[in-house]
Amino acid sequence: MHIPDGILPVPVTAAGYAATAAVTWYSVRKINKKENSRQDIPKTSLLTAAFFVVSWIHIPVPPTSVHLVLNGLLGAILGYFAFPAILIGLFFQAVMFQHGGLTTLGVNAMIMGLPAIIAHYIFRLRRFGNKESRWKTGVFGFISGAIAVAMSVSMFVVILLTNIPADLDVGTERAAIYTLAIAHLPLIAIEGFITSLLAVFLQRVRPRILDGV
Amino acid sequence: MKLGIVDEYSDFGSLLHRWDPRCKLIGLMVLIFAFSFIRDLRMLLAMVVVTTTIYIISKLPVSFIIRRLRYPSFFLLVVVLILPFVSGQTIIMSIGPLDLRQEGLIAVLLIATRFISILTIGLILFGTAPFLTTIKAMRALGLPSILADIVLLSFRYLHEIGSDLQKMQMSMSLRGFDKRGLNIRALSIAAWLSGSILVRSYERSEWVYKAMILRGYGHAPPARGEFQAHSRDVITLGVFLLTAVGFIVGDILYGHGVAALLQ
Repeated sequence: MHIPDGILPVPVTAAGYAATAAVTWYSVRKINKKENSRQDIPKTSLLTAAFFVVSWIHIPVPPTSVHLVLNGLLGAILGYFAFPAILIGLFFQAVMFQHGGLTTLGVNAMIMGLPAIIAHYIFRLRRFGNKESRWKTGVFGFISGAIAVAMSVSMFVVILLTNIPADLDVGTERAAIYTLAIAHLPLIAIEGFITSLLAVFLQRVRPRILDGV
Repeated sequence: MKLGIVDEYSDFGSLLHRWDPRCKLIGLMVLIFAFSFIRDLRMLLAMVVVTTTIYIISKLPVSFIIRRLRYPSFFLLVVVLILPFVSGQTIIMSIGPLDLRQEGLIAVLLIATRFISILTIGLILFGTAPFLTTIKAMRALGLPSILADIVLLSFRYLHEIGSDLQKMQMSMSLRGFDKRGLNIRALSIAAWLSGSILVRSYERSEWVYKAMILRGYGHAPPARGEFQAHSRDVITLGVFLLTAVGFIVGDILYGHGVAALLQ
């Protein structure tokens, strides 16, 4: 789900960078307002590295395998730190593994980061009503994980197919969008399920992590 | 997965290795964006020539770029295989039920050339200086200190956390875990494995913070004068900026115009 270099026109990559700069600025401003934001930097850094490493875990989906995205859980745990964390993770991906790209870093950060922030708010809903319980954590974990990936897939497919420098007719474009969206449905379900299990696991083992940084 | 080390040849002594990292960041990033402007086939040829020349000047081995092209070339393969058959109306030839189209072929050429050229310049940018020096150069150019700290700390612990994951996966294999099937048990184990990595990292971060505080984190004066640009660095930057402008002007002059660029 990372758009590589060489595909998108400059206005789109420039708009991606502008939007990413704005969201990053807003996130950094929110972080700086916290009482002891410095204390959260090592936590965010190590969790950024941990999420990056966890994305190397491959889940077999015959005939191929998929890797975990977990931008929903990242948003749920890191809150406003999630956007810079994703930006940095994507930067590492582009520089170390040539996944994604340098010109498309802004667009890719929006594709992955915006859903993470939305997932943060969805996951917070588990605190409404009665006491926080494991099943509520599981349910909201599933919803935030699945919605985050579904949003990322939708943004990825639409941005890619509407900006590819090729002359695709409307029918082909629509067919490609549907095909790519349907191909990602198992990933959305798996992400939701794993996010749910992970959230319950963290609540059982280290509930402090779910309180966010 | 083996962690991709991009700065393994950063101790070479080429002109690009000696270039001030801040000027190099600006010069090569501007050139990368100029490359992504290109739509004219003649300018594509010039882009290949310039990229090859810069790569030769950098003295980076050819094996370095070939190794690095392996991962992303899967995407390229998909584009090359699909686009010529679905994009455009001018049919050049038919292969069974499939029609090979001229517009699709041109699109493939455009995407592939831009992609490889940008990737090569990116590799030169991060391959001709130690990674940490490049991050410090970004900070010197105005990257917020929070972001710079997170980048430096994450990078510092990526190797260790990656090594934790490898050990845990090896332990799972030795205990007979079969990762081939897709079932609820396999997904649960993947979740618990991920959770263990997150918990370990979270706990380690608390120790790291205490160690950082003991070493005066947040109280040290900001580093000044870490980089010094000489006239040679500024002249090289000027050459790269002019080259980038030349590409944009050339593409406009060759007939695509500003309107085409904005498409």
